[in-house]
Amino acid sequence: MNAIEIRQLTYTYPGAERPILNGIDLDVEKGDFLAIVGNNGCGKSTLCKTLNGLIPHFISGEFGGSVCIGGQNTLETDVGQLAQTVGYVYQDFENQIVRPTVLDDASYACLNYAYQDYEQRGRQALALCGLQGKELDYVWQLSGGQTHLLALAGAVSLGPDILILDEPIAQLDPGHADAIYEVLKELNQKHGKTIVVIEHHTEYIANYCRNVLLLKDGKVEWKLPTQQALQRVEELQACNIFPPQITVAGFALQQQGRLPKTAQLPTTIEQAKDCFSQLQYRPQAEMNDKPNRQEAVAEFKEVWVGYRSVKGEPRRIFNGVNLTLYRGEKIALIGSNGAGKSTTMKLLTGLLRPAQGEVLIGGQNIKHKKAEELSRQISLVYQNPEQMFIKDSIRGDIAYAMQVRGVADWQQRTEQLLQQFQLTELAERDGRLMSGGQMRRASLAIGVALEPSILLLDEPTANLDIATRKEIMKTLNNMKQITETVMIATHDMQLVCDWAERIIVLYGGEVVADGTRDEIFGNIPLCQKVGIRPPEIFAMAQQLDAKALCYTVESFLNDFKESDHG
Amino acid sequence: MDKLMTKLSENILDKFSMDFLRNQVLKNAYGNDHTLIAKLDPRVLLAWYVFFGLVPWFVNDTVFLFGCFALVTITTLLAQVAGLVLFLFGLGVFSQTGYLFLATLLFGGDTTAILPLLLLTLKVATVSLASITVFSGLDPDRLSIGLMWYGCPEQFSFSVSYAYRMLPLLMEEFQNVLLSYRLRGNPPAHETFKGKVQYLIYQVKIIIHAFYPLMLNTAKRSRTTVEALELRGYRYAASNPQVRKIKFSALNITHRDMLFAAVSFLWVAVTMLLASIL
Amino acid sequence: MYIKKKQQMAQSQKLMVFVLTMALYGLATLFSELIPKFQLGLIEFSVEYFLFIPLTLAMLFDPLSAALGASTGELIFSEIMLGQFGGLGEIEKFVTVALGVYVAGRMVRDPQNRVRVGVAAFTGTALQLAMGAIVDISKVQFAVEDFESVKGLPESVFATEGFAFANDLLFSGILFCLLPTLYLVPKLYGKIEPLLGMAPRTERNSLEGIRPKTIVACCVVFLGAVCMEFLASSGLSLIDWEASWAESSTAIAVGMVVAAVVAVLAVLVNQKTKKEGSVA
Repeated sequence: MNAIEIRQLTYTYPGAERPILNGIDLDVEKGDFLAIVGNNGCGKSTLCKTLNGLIPHFISGEFGGSVCIGGQNTLETDVGQLAQTVGYVYQDFENQIVRPTVLDDASYACLNYAYQDYEQRGRQALALCGLQGKELDYVWQLSGGQTHLLALAGAVSLGPDILILDEPIAQLDPGHADAIYEVLKELNQKHGKTIVVIEHHTEYIANYCRNVLLLKDGKVEWKLPTQQALQRVEELQACNIFPPQITVAGFALQQQGRLPKTAQLPTTIEQAKDCFSQLQYRPQAEMNDKPNRQEAVAEFKEVWVGYRSVKGEPRRIFNGVNLTLYRGEKIALIGSNGAGKSTTMKLLTGLLRPAQGEVLIGGQNIKHKKAEELSRQISLVYQNPEQMFIKDSIRGDIAYAMQVRGVADWQQRTEQLLQQFQLTELAERDGRLMSGGQMRRASLAIGVALEPSILLLDEPTANLDIATRKEIMKTLNNMKQITETVMIATHDMQLVCDWAERIIVLYGGEVVADGTRDEIFGNIPLCQKVGIRPPEIFAMAQQLDAKALCYTVESFLNDFKESDHG
Repeated sequence: MDKLMTKLSENILDKFSMDFLRNQVLKNAYGNDHTLIAKLDPRVLLAWYVFFGLVPWFVNDTVFLFGCFALVTITTLLAQVAGLVLFLFGLGVFSQTGYLFLATLLFGGDTTAILPLLLLTLKVATVSLASITVFSGLDPDRLSIGLMWYGCPEQFSFSVSYAYRMLPLLMEEFQNVLLSYRLRGNPPAHETFKGKVQYLIYQVKIIIHAFYPLMLNTAKRSRTTVEALELRGYRYAASNPQVRKIKFSALNITHRDMLFAAVSFLWVAVTMLLASIL
Repeated sequence: MYIKKKQQMAQSQKLMVFVLTMALYGLATLFSELIPKFQLGLIEFSVEYFLFIPLTLAMLFDPLSAALGASTGELIFSEIMLGQFGGLGEIEKFVTVALGVYVAGRMVRDPQNRVRVGVAAFTGTALQLAMGAIVDISKVQFAVEDFESVKGLPESVFATEGFAFANDLLFSGILFCLLPTLYLVPKLYGKIEPLLGMAPRTERNSLEGIRPKTIVACCVVFLGAVCMEFLASSGLSLIDWEASWAESSTAIAVGMVVAAVVAVLAVLVNQKTKKEGSVA
């Protein structure tokens, strides 16, 4: 018997003109590990909500066809019963957690369904999700990755046969992302759970998933084993899904006639070792761009910062940090969750005062300056763009800062910014009601409105699918001309490689490394210690030749040539 | 007046540290769960509260009131309540009766007017401290189970613990929205008195405006929350008496509770004895 | 089946409104508790700063859920979290806020009608403040014995409460309730509803306007709350608690002390034997 059987499923949201799901037929075998991929708005999340009965029991709309979960038709059962068969983890998982302590939250569902051993079940679920020892912690003490694991534990505690996760790793650093997938792998292999993920990180699909389902315009385009699915490079790219860099490199080699057309394209580094074995590293002329360090725009001198905690000693975030940022630099600030990236940004914008030491902007100590006064010199774009929208239209938001400061030609400049960031058509919309990429573009436009000399961006590519991410990267590259000094705090190593000229690594409250991408990524012990994961293509090149430093598929293709005797 | 305005206008946004507030509230709720009060059974404490929260209103004997006041002061100290809460207590007692006291003087009342007002202040203080002991001393989850045991609607007791869960999220959201205003806004200069008034008005306006984005952002959140609650059996539990039973089985009246009740009883009895003798 | 489903959906939507109002208004009251009171001479401008939040939400969504959410939020965030819980006094606040918000919410059938929104916001605020003033006056009257005999006290209470009511209504009622509601309702209308998966309120799908039945029900609830406030008081004076206790005097008190001592000893001994038993 299949775990999930869907027949001719159609669904239309209330008030929508067209159905979002349009005649879906799908069988998912028991014990499968399925990735659902597709464009934004193709109905992935909606499909998942039909599986746990939220549609049609909880969310109204027009529903047609049938969904059977473990043999039960969802129309004939209620959400409560289905919840014990299907566990669901939302994309905005932090709102799913309703109890203050970890164990409480993990066992909450079991308690509600009147299991006598609810606490035991909660503990087991926590253990399965790698959260042992955290039982008595409060949820606000957890890192983003742990919070996600807790949301997963809450779903696992009921012992469902099927687990559904909506973009589980979108907000996580690579260490935590691996942790999630390892947990899922174990649940799948050892405990026989059927797992469905909505995912656009194809590297993870290649490494963990068994099958891939492509949704297009509310229909199933195909469902194939992962290996075959990822071979369809062009088709996937047409749907804005980007196969693993290794597969793309293999595909390009095929196109250039350097690999036989019939060969299987590799999807993981393991497979690629054989496939690319004839390639040798022959670097092209080296680029040598000496950093131009003349004028310091911001400085940290022996900065110490601590935070109050609910119980016990204050937590130390910075232990005597020294750092200088120079005019015109494009800096990436990296480090795992909680290493102090946000703290750095808060210090620079004057939102946080150091316990000891000095922060200087443009040579002046900002100790007695208010954040408002600094905002013309330095501007911060938050990780969550929704919090930047304070007016009821994008135009209003972009104009606001200029308008209240009486910038002479603010109307003109607003129009110009709208055009520059391709927002003219959306100008009257409320920022919150736009898509992820549009929101992000709008927040960048807001950030540069006052023409600050320093622009700080907190995770500008988090929560975006790869296609939107590429678009934002393009925007960031275009912005290089209009902003002087830019610093980005991010986990996105592809962004770091493509964009940054200088990389600062934070670890344990200190700056442990500071240099160009070659200096950082070439330093393997450092990367391992701090948990930096270079892009997959970089790791691939390293596998083939430890001297190789390739950051993009293009440079890989250029720098590796077939060996003479190969 | 000028000084007051300075204090006011600085207070609202500048010195008002959201982190400090959040920290104090959470500390108050969860930071003191090792104390004697926190370990007591919530049912006993609530029953205790009903006595000390009600009786002082209807008794006018000064000795008795002082006795009760002394007891609740001790329990408040035992509960290790956060400083902010005690500060607010002081402020509250003054604003409830202090202003009446001044008004009575203004309207030509003589010194005899002071006595009933002092008595009233004593009552207010006793009742407030009793509630601080119970509501700040107890962990919110135990408090909500206790309330449920006394027949409080499930929705309310759920709301109590959910509110604590939401508080850090909401504050962060609010803080960030306010920040957007601060960083992008252009507050009026506030060196002169007129400037200060304008600045105050500006701040109040900003806070009101900030609720527009906050409402929309919170709406998004609450949708996920309510869907997740449905999946996690929240409504199921409300209609299932078995669940209540399981929840209550975590409650357990021990010797400590009985001793606490007995000592409080003794204290009240001695106070009454003193009241009748003196 | 269909009807049941519709009810379930309505319930979930109500829960969303409840959670939303509770969180927002609760947070707001938490702040207003901390904002220093604005004092002009002897008169305190104790402003209900944030009533516009539940008013707005009650006009856009289900009024009852918004009303209950607002009162619950205030109770939990500003009273319980900050230890300001005043016992029975909170019931009065709970009820007056809920009633004010509910009535205002019911008065608006089409949120795009600005005049209606304004009138409703003002009425709701006035109702809440008036009920609060009535309760406040009677509270002092009951708590202070010989209220009438203290020279200057009754006048001062009536004067301050009366002034506070008028001041609150004109000052905070307009500045903090009427204007923000007028600003927010049209801005949010049509934007916030889809986020909760609901259809915006229109003439057609709204609840009926206020009928006599609603008014009667509201009055009953308010009277009930007032009664709760004074129930204990009148009950106690009926059984003459104070008098009998004062007269029976020492004998009963001594008896109680003895009983209490016995109780404490009993608990201690019991505990000790238990411990020894468990050790053995």
